[in-house]
Amino acid sequence: MGRMTELPTKGGFSFDLCTRNDMLLKNGLQMPPFRKTGTTIVGLVFQDGVVLGADTRATEGPIVADKNFEKIHFMAPNIYCCGAGTAADTEAVTDMVSSQLQLHRYATGRESRVVTALTLLKSHLFSYQGHVSAALVLGGFDVTGPHLHTVYPHGSTDTLPFATMGSGSLAAMSVFESKYREGLTREEGIELVAEAICAGIFNDLGSGSNVDVCVITEGKTEYLRNYQLPNPRTYISSKGYTFVKGQTEVLSTKITSIQPKVEAVEGGDAMEE
Amino acid sequence: MGDSQYSFSLTTFSPSGKLVQIEHALMAVGSGQTSLGIKATNGVVVATEKKLPSILVDETSVQKIQLMTPNIGVVYSGMGPDSRVLVRKSRKQAQQYFRLYKETIPVTQLVRETATVMQEFTQSGGVRPFGVSLLIAGYDDNGPQLYQVDPSGSYFSWKASAMGKNVSNAKTFLEKRYTEVMELEDAIHTAILTLKEGFEGQISGKNIEIGIIGTDRQFRVLSSSEIDDYLAEVE
Repeated sequence: MGRMTELPTKGGFSFDLCTRNDMLLKNGLQMPPFRKTGTTIVGLVFQDGVVLGADTRATEGPIVADKNFEKIHFMAPNIYCCGAGTAADTEAVTDMVSSQLQLHRYATGRESRVVTALTLLKSHLFSYQGHVSAALVLGGFDVTGPHLHTVYPHGSTDTLPFATMGSGSLAAMSVFESKYREGLTREEGIELVAEAICAGIFNDLGSGSNVDVCVITEGKTEYLRNYQLPNPRTYISSKGYTFVKGQTEVLSTKITSIQPKVEAVEGGDAMEE
Repeated sequence: MGDSQYSFSLTTFSPSGKLVQIEHALMAVGSGQTSLGIKATNGVVVATEKKLPSILVDETSVQKIQLMTPNIGVVYSGMGPDSRVLVRKSRKQAQQYFRLYKETIPVTQLVRETATVMQEFTQSGGVRPFGVSLLIAGYDDNGPQLYQVDPSGSYFSWKASAMGKNVSNAKTFLEKRYTEVMELEDAIHTAILTLKEGFEGQISGKNIEIGIIGTDRQFRVLSSSEIDDYLAEVE
């Protein structure tokens, strides 16, 4: 008998494994560190639309895991989303909502709206009670105009004219608070976003490398990957590196001879056809 | 019919080896409005009659040709609501494929998944087969493709095909007119002429629908004014 109707999905977080996880921690298990994005992400509304910005450093504790990580994710042709927090969580949740928005576009025959993406994100994050560690800056331009929102891991949202998230958010916010005003032009908006991200890159350890910018206006989106590269690599020796034999100190020597070849014996019954 | 004792249940074979319900489903398709598809060297065209039950129906609210992905479209003959369910499921499967492989689904894969759904409904309890045959038109890395999927779940790749009321005349017409070197524009004209063959009444942009996909790999449904322009060229 085939599966006729799909069972309604059970909502909320499944707490089945929580006792087992607590037991493992008590027994001394070291949880592997999540790859977090440290991050400075920003967004602002200007006269013709929204500008989103992000740095490109992904960290694993004190180590830089990726020097040129893309933090501005595609949601719809007219909606993009910057993600801070656990990299896998931001990737997975934005991919999932992007997919749902595409199906919604087919079903309605209309361009996606920013509030639709917002509602899908916040309901998903709330149902996981903050365990999906994704802090997002969502921006886009739809039939009702330009929109900018922040989404927190527990599922709350804000609607703002300018916003920053991530470990570099205070550095970036100081730039916005002093220089933001309504009715910025496109060039002014991009410059201000780049300045805010640079403030995060240079003053926050969790952020670094390059500046990515995304400009969304009516009917047009420009994704300016690596808009600024304020941290170029300048130390490559043109001569290359030479390693002299004997440069590495030998501490001890152990010689093990290779085992003699094992003879394979032909014969035996063939496998059943 | 001697098989009538076995025709009530989908999951019971008749002594002649047929599943009579599927035959009946094909009859439902055969009494539906004519639709057809033609594969050209640089694209695919699908077309269908759009006869509305009354002049009072707002024809702009009806669209028979649908998109499954930006580069794959579909037209049906038979029961409209059944086709809507299939299109919805196929869209979801295309999205799931993309989520997993980060690549748009190839046309053959989507056809296979759609056909699998249709087959499942011929081997389950308490359900009936879909009363539609689909013509799936797409353009991917393997070039332009046209597939027909039947209520049984079997699918075939076609160079040109027709389904619905006028299928035998339409197929004969297509066999005569089809050439291997046909380009998309010729294919559109041929499609219109084929529909015109069996059309009752005055053909216009308001009572047929045409969908095309070319080398740009964007499937789109032509507007009624575009169809009227093509009709004028064909006169």
